[in-house]
Amino acid sequence: MATSFPSLFPGMLLDAASRYAEDHIAQEIQGDPVRELGWTATLVPEEAGGAGGTLSDLASIVEGLATHGLQLPVVETCAVVPLLLQAAGAETAHRWLEAVAEGSARIAPMVALSATPEHDAVTARHLDIGYELSGVVEGVDLTLPATHYLVPVQMDGDDAIFLVDAERIGAPKARYRTMEGRLGADFALERLAVPEGACLARGAAVREARAKATDAALLLTAADTVAALATLIRQTVTHLKERRQFGVALASFQVLRHRVADMYVKYLGAKGLVIHCFHEYEQGAADLRRTLRLAKVSLAESARACAEAAIQMHGGMGVSEEVLATRTAQRLIASEFRYGDRLMHAAQLLAPPQSAERVSLSNQTGSVR
Amino acid sequence: MSIDYAGFRRELEAFARSACPPDIRAVVAAGQKITKREYQAWQQILNAQGWGAPSWPREAGGTGWDIRQRLIFEEVMAENDCPPLYHHGLGHIGPVIIRFGTPDQKARFLPRILDGSDWWCQGYSEPGSGSDLASLSTSARLEDGEWVVNGQKIWTSHAHEASMIYMLVRTSKEAKKQEGISLLLVPMDTPGITVRPIKTIDGWHHLNEVFFDEVRVRADNLVGEVGKGWTCAKFLLERERLPPANVARLELMRRQVTQLVEQASRAAAGQRDFSGLHHKLLLCEADVKGARVMMAEATDDLIHQRPLGVQPSAIKMTCADVAQRLTTIALDAVGPDAAHRFLADAGQDVPDATWIQNYMFTRARTIAGGTSEVQRNVVANELLGA
Ligand SMILES: Cc1cc2nc3c(=O)[nH]c(=O)nc-3n(C[C@H](O)[C@H](O)[C@H](O)COP(=O)(O)OP(=O)(O)OC[C@H]3O[C@@H](n4cnc5c(N)ncnc54)[C@H](O)[C@@H]3O)c2cc1C
Repeated sequence: MATSFPSLFPGMLLDAASRYAEDHIAQEIQGDPVRELGWTATLVPEEAGGAGGTLSDLASIVEGLATHGLQLPVVETCAVVPLLLQAAGAETAHRWLEAVAEGSARIAPMVALSATPEHDAVTARHLDIGYELSGVVEGVDLTLPATHYLVPVQMDGDDAIFLVDAERIGAPKARYRTMEGRLGADFALERLAVPEGACLARGAAVREARAKATDAALLLTAADTVAALATLIRQTVTHLKERRQFGVALASFQVLRHRVADMYVKYLGAKGLVIHCFHEYEQGAADLRRTLRLAKVSLAESARACAEAAIQMHGGMGVSEEVLATRTAQRLIASEFRYGDRLMHAAQLLAPPQSAERVSLSNQTGSVR
Repeated sequence: MSIDYAGFRRELEAFARSACPPDIRAVVAAGQKITKREYQAWQQILNAQGWGAPSWPREAGGTGWDIRQRLIFEEVMAENDCPPLYHHGLGHIGPVIIRFGTPDQKARFLPRILDGSDWWCQGYSEPGSGSDLASLSTSARLEDGEWVVNGQKIWTSHAHEASMIYMLVRTSKEAKKQEGISLLLVPMDTPGITVRPIKTIDGWHHLNEVFFDEVRVRADNLVGEVGKGWTCAKFLLERERLPPANVARLELMRRQVTQLVEQASRAAAGQRDFSGLHHKLLLCEADVKGARVMMAEATDDLIHQRPLGVQPSAIKMTCADVAQRLTTIALDAVGPDAAHRFLADAGQDVPDATWIQNYMFTRARTIAGGTSEVQRNVVANELLGA
């Protein structure tokens, strides 16, 4: 069976991540593995002390972790943060990217997991000295400790990015376990005073960085989904071959055989679509965002169908969180709601073309109140 | 004498509104998981009114209502956000004891189901025996006038809060695996019983594994004849698949989900495309109407002791399917807001997130009580032969 699920992003990074995930699968997350393993350096340019890698390199890590069901905020920490930092002027960006690569600054995006980095939940006001930030951001990933938050904001009708000490931001107003088992938190910023230097950048450079971070988040989440689908199907196949009822293996019941066949065909389609997305990304295709939105809508549909089928075919075991297939099903459904759900992306796809990308992104998920 | 159904409905409505405590109604209205606390309190209130067991015969403590009255009862209770009746006692083992039990068993167990003092759980499934229930291997041997039970049950809902378990045990090894199975009633505080919780996909605690190590049970706690437990088990399963509350509850859920979609749709202000969800809701509305008639017909057959055929399977599949579709619509409506709030700190309730848990919980509707694949086999065998 192994050959039926070839890796999407093979290589040493995949092997290392996969091995790490396999070894740590049943444990609470201790410390900060993402930084300890040096993954935050992946996208950071070599001149800033990083690995100068590509999104495909990061996708290897995402794939390796998803294969064994480990949940870590790699997309947020290793893609969104360095890509947003690129908005700052060369010197500032260099300094912070270097800190990210070596792990001396632990920066997390102050963005709802359900929204894209293009979404504005926070507004800023310029004061005589420094700025004042206000807004509610619900569902920020807090799985790993943070020393700083990168906050995308709206300021006087313009986009800007702030970098704020975690201490200044303070504790979240509520914490939750997310569907896939991460730590999520809601923050309320009420006229939070920050110094002048907290504003890293504003204007076109910010918009460009936010767009890149959004594309990356969508791409990597899609890669996570395909890797999780492979795991889900592999686990289901093993279960059907091993579990016996009525004196025979479940794998001998035709209805289950067809169901798992349908899952596999959906997986192949999803994999094809994600490879296509990465090609478009690498070629800088003009249509990339539209393709990513299509992928979002389509993968949500396939992943949900496969998750539900796997739960059903596992019977009672399908509802037990002790089972990897079950946790993978949860992960797949949670991923649907990361970086804009299918209803949001469908609305954008169906909007008249001339205004498609100009629709105000505020309150697009209803998570900003 | 003709029954004044409209008057009956009004009487029930007045009762539901005045007698059901607001905190319990709030739990039901929010679609939260109903626990022993709500079930038990409501059962005691109903019982004090003489309505503790609407579907039992009058001589066993039931109401003597006709079929239409029972359906009205279920609908009114659902419409007014009252909890459903607790199924394991009233719906499952109660009717079995009424049909197969000894006078002593009826006297010992039925009143305690009616007044809510016993809380039952079902020990059917085992690690190796799920859909193929007849292959079960938990054993009971007779020793010094007592049954001695050894083995393991799994997926036992409510075992951690139950005072009694009704369980299938193998009392002899016959050639045909359905034979040699018996139905035993066992107090959960008997020495040798261990309950271990199972962490489930919905974040609620309801499932358990139950281990039996030399558990000694009174000989007269066996229901029906020794080795003929399969007949009781099948009788029970037919009823398990036909709970009249299901359809009324579906209508309640449909209304809740419709409201949720309207709210979410307003909040999204055109930024999310809800047209698909509205369309799916319409289909659910139609299916609930069809299911209501299916249910009424089946209940009528049950009362007149006509054979039920595939009806329990058909109704179970339909209700499970509609419930899953409804909670899926709810998931889509609230997902972006709620997926990160799956479980809140310290039991804090988050209404939107409860729908995510409900979506997960409802996955089990096509598994528990006989999977949909097995129900389809039943229907297909009827149509096409085994
Ligand atoms: C939430 C929940 C609550 C439960 N509560 C209780 C309880 O209180 N007491 C209790 O005793 N049990 C309970 N159960 C157990 C339930 O009855 C079993 O899960 C169910 O009978 C299926 O058995 P299984 O889990 O062993 O799955 P399996 O029998 O292993 O089935 C796995 C898959 O194979 C399919 N399959 C099996 N046989 C066939 C076939 N012949 N043809 C086609 N497909 C087939 C099934 O449909 C399923 O998709 C509960 C289960 C759940 C999920």
